[in-house]
Amino acid sequence: MGKGESSSKKMITKEDWEKKLSDVKLRKEDMNKLVMNFLVTEGYVEAAEKFQVESGTQPEVELGTITDRMAVRKAVQSGNMEDAIEKVNDLDPEILDTNPQLFFHLQQQRLIELIRNGRLEEALEFAQEELAPRGAENHAFLEELERTVALLAFEDTSGCPVAELLDLSQRQKTASELNAAILTSQSHEKDPKLPSLLKMLIWAQNQLDEKASYPHINDLVNATLEEPVA
Amino acid sequence: MPASAACTKSEDLVESLSSLDTMARLKALRDVKNQIIGNKTKKLSYIKLGAVPRVVEILASDSDVPLLVQSAAAVGSFACGNDVGVKALLESGVLPHLLKMLSNSNSQVVEAGARSLKMIFQSTLAPKNDMFQGRRVDLILALLNGENDNVAEVAASVLARCCETEEHQKVLAEAGCLQSLIGLLGGSVKKREAALDALAALTRGNQEISSLLIDMEQGNAVACLIKLIKEKSPRTRLFACMCLLNIAKACSSGYQQEWDIKKCMLSTVVKLFEELGQVGEEAPGVLADLVTNNEELQKAAYEINAVEKLAEILHRGVISVRQLEGVLLAIAELCSRLEDGRRQILNLQGQYHIGMALESSTAGVRIAACSCIKSISRSVKNLRTSLTEEHLVRSLFKLLDDPSPLVQYHRPCSGVAKFTLMYCNFACVCIQLRIHESFSRAQYFNRYVSALGAASNIVLDFTPHKAVFFNCGGVSQLIQLARSMDSVLRQNAVWALRNLLYLADMMAKERVMRELTFSTLVDLICDSEEIVQEQALAFVRNLVYGSVECVQLIFAQDGAILHAVERQLCGATRPEVCVQGVYVLSNVAAGSEHHKEAIMEFVSPIAIGDRSASILLRFLQDMSNPQIRVAAVWCIMNLIHADSPGVLSRVLRLHDAGIQLQLQKMAEDPILDVKDRVRAALEQFSALGTSA
Repeated sequence: MGKGESSSKKMITKEDWEKKLSDVKLRKEDMNKLVMNFLVTEGYVEAAEKFQVESGTQPEVELGTITDRMAVRKAVQSGNMEDAIEKVNDLDPEILDTNPQLFFHLQQQRLIELIRNGRLEEALEFAQEELAPRGAENHAFLEELERTVALLAFEDTSGCPVAELLDLSQRQKTASELNAAILTSQSHEKDPKLPSLLKMLIWAQNQLDEKASYPHINDLVNATLEEPVA
Repeated sequence: MPASAACTKSEDLVESLSSLDTMARLKALRDVKNQIIGNKTKKLSYIKLGAVPRVVEILASDSDVPLLVQSAAAVGSFACGNDVGVKALLESGVLPHLLKMLSNSNSQVVEAGARSLKMIFQSTLAPKNDMFQGRRVDLILALLNGENDNVAEVAASVLARCCETEEHQKVLAEAGCLQSLIGLLGGSVKKREAALDALAALTRGNQEISSLLIDMEQGNAVACLIKLIKEKSPRTRLFACMCLLNIAKACSSGYQQEWDIKKCMLSTVVKLFEELGQVGEEAPGVLADLVTNNEELQKAAYEINAVEKLAEILHRGVISVRQLEGVLLAIAELCSRLEDGRRQILNLQGQYHIGMALESSTAGVRIAACSCIKSISRSVKNLRTSLTEEHLVRSLFKLLDDPSPLVQYHRPCSGVAKFTLMYCNFACVCIQLRIHESFSRAQYFNRYVSALGAASNIVLDFTPHKAVFFNCGGVSQLIQLARSMDSVLRQNAVWALRNLLYLADMMAKERVMRELTFSTLVDLICDSEEIVQEQALAFVRNLVYGSVECVQLIFAQDGAILHAVERQLCGATRPEVCVQGVYVLSNVAAGSEHHKEAIMEFVSPIAIGDRSASILLRFLQDMSNPQIRVAAVWCIMNLIHADSPGVLSRVLRLHDAGIQLQLQKMAEDPILDVKDRVRAALEQFSALGTSA
């Protein structure tokens, strides 16, 4: 009940807002931990090492394991699936044994790479020997299996309805899945905390919008405070 | 560097595993390992090719770190989720070698060995008993307390699997593992979960150990567990609940704030239904455990929509056996006393899935389904409406032939008077099955007994059930069992048949008698055991109740039945036998003139010379048995029923036998029922114009 929404919202000037912000106390250690968490999760080993030296922040995991993990990621991103599989098995043989979906995706990626390199006969044999049993072991994989094998049917893959499988972004997808699995096996959170905080910011702003008019942060990169809109 | 794409034949690889050249061995090992990880088909094929003994050989005799690590990894992979592999490994004697690896100086080797041990122990074939040999328990404990986190985690999970018997639990507790496990609760998530798993296994059904835990660290151990109910990880929450449940069960004296904690556990566990994997599978079973015999908690669970959520899971269709069993047990508990719960599960069409579960190939699921039906059928309304589906009743009767060893006897209601039967709580419409290790004849026999007990309930007055019962050959089964060598079996079979005849129509009665035969009935009436006699007489009572045609049945085979009844009445010592017998007389006396005369012949014979006291007098004077007094009065009332021609002569005879006098003495009988009957009878006498 009132004259209208805009007039019932509380109005906060940029000056007042900035003052309120400066009253909030944050600890440097906490921010450093956030940064380290991001670097470690995303796998930036050298940066993490340097950061550790410069800030004295302890990484949450042995940086050596990050190197191993990054080697796996690199192998996948280069399309070197057999190598990637060997490496992850050396790192932790349990991962692929206990993640049938992940294993299937790695095999799938292997097939895609064989097709990409024009080794169609090998691809066919591989599909039969390695992928078909996965489908037999688990019917949930059959649909994806069919999609992948469809690549073999097309001479000119650019017109193929499943052409996106050949995109390099597919490698990215597989690499991320594998990375997440390795992180989980190391009892590490698979997502860095920083994105969650940013999401929280956007959500909080949306909530506050209903009650007040205040300076927004719309550009997350620069984090500049915009003038409040009446 | 692309790996070699050359396809090495599997057989060659297996050969190379035994090569004398170390490098060749290592390469073959790695290749095999990389082929089998994640690939069930390859695991099985390599097992067939005999790879396992060769890998174990490397594990046993090689000392090279890479060879040890790779062979351990291969062993772990062969075992992972694969009982065939576990079997092959155990047969190749892998266990002692793996245990040796745990004491190796190289941490990589130790970790690899630990991982593989964990894989083996996740299987049901795990060599639990072997772990109690020699100093192995001490070894595991040392690892539990050791520096290496991963190894400590494995040690805890191995312990968790080695607690199957009370003996095992005792040994482990005495070796001091409780303290170590509590210590692990503060560690990483995985370590904590492995420790909780072990604590839950140790406290399961074990009051002593549960008490130890309560006292540990002046209650701090339990306080820690309570905090863990609110942890982020679903597995932690579930295992913490399991531990606390075990403790609560063992120590019924309760601890402070128990109700609040249980309520908290309740909402936690119900939320866990939605989790994937092991947690979602186990959560319903934990709920069932939590609310057992606790009506308040059951109500609370109902209020947070537990029944709805359980029904939802049922409707999913594709769920694991373990989860199904847990869900059914939970439903059984939530419907055991709550009419709301029963109503809701039926509204949500739960009975369809429960019916299907009755035919599951897993005994545990059948048990749980039976419990459900038992709970739901506690509502008479439900018995009459929702549970009458023929397929459901058929499935229940199929269970009469269930191959599972032990069936627990559930006592049917012991309705005596006609009107109490109607109001009895028909608790069991089904048979409860329990799995036991040893299969013994006695247990097999008990199965029939309870099945019959259950059958008695199901046939009582619920017409839809009766029809189905006839149609699926239940009668024949019962009749067969009535001829059994065992008296308890006979008793129960006849009991069920008696219930079948209750208020049944002539056609049903004729059908039953055709199969049973009158001579068998006579045998049963004259059975060597009085418990059987009682049921047989009750059977006859129901048989002749009703129309004149029904009464006539007692005169079959030259009145053999009637004579048998009379004989028993004269000689029986057990009061229940006499009660039923007198009711038989009473029912027959309700028939035609001819029938009344036949009864008179027995109760007040016109014998010339020495006239022994009417047997009815004996019953009327029996102050220890109110029921028989009532029955006797009924009999008299039927004999002197005003509308029949020869009533006056009967009245006179009974008067002369001292019956009327006796009744007058009973005008102030202490039992109300008796008093009322007597007064009514005396009114009849006076209406017919006799005086004392």
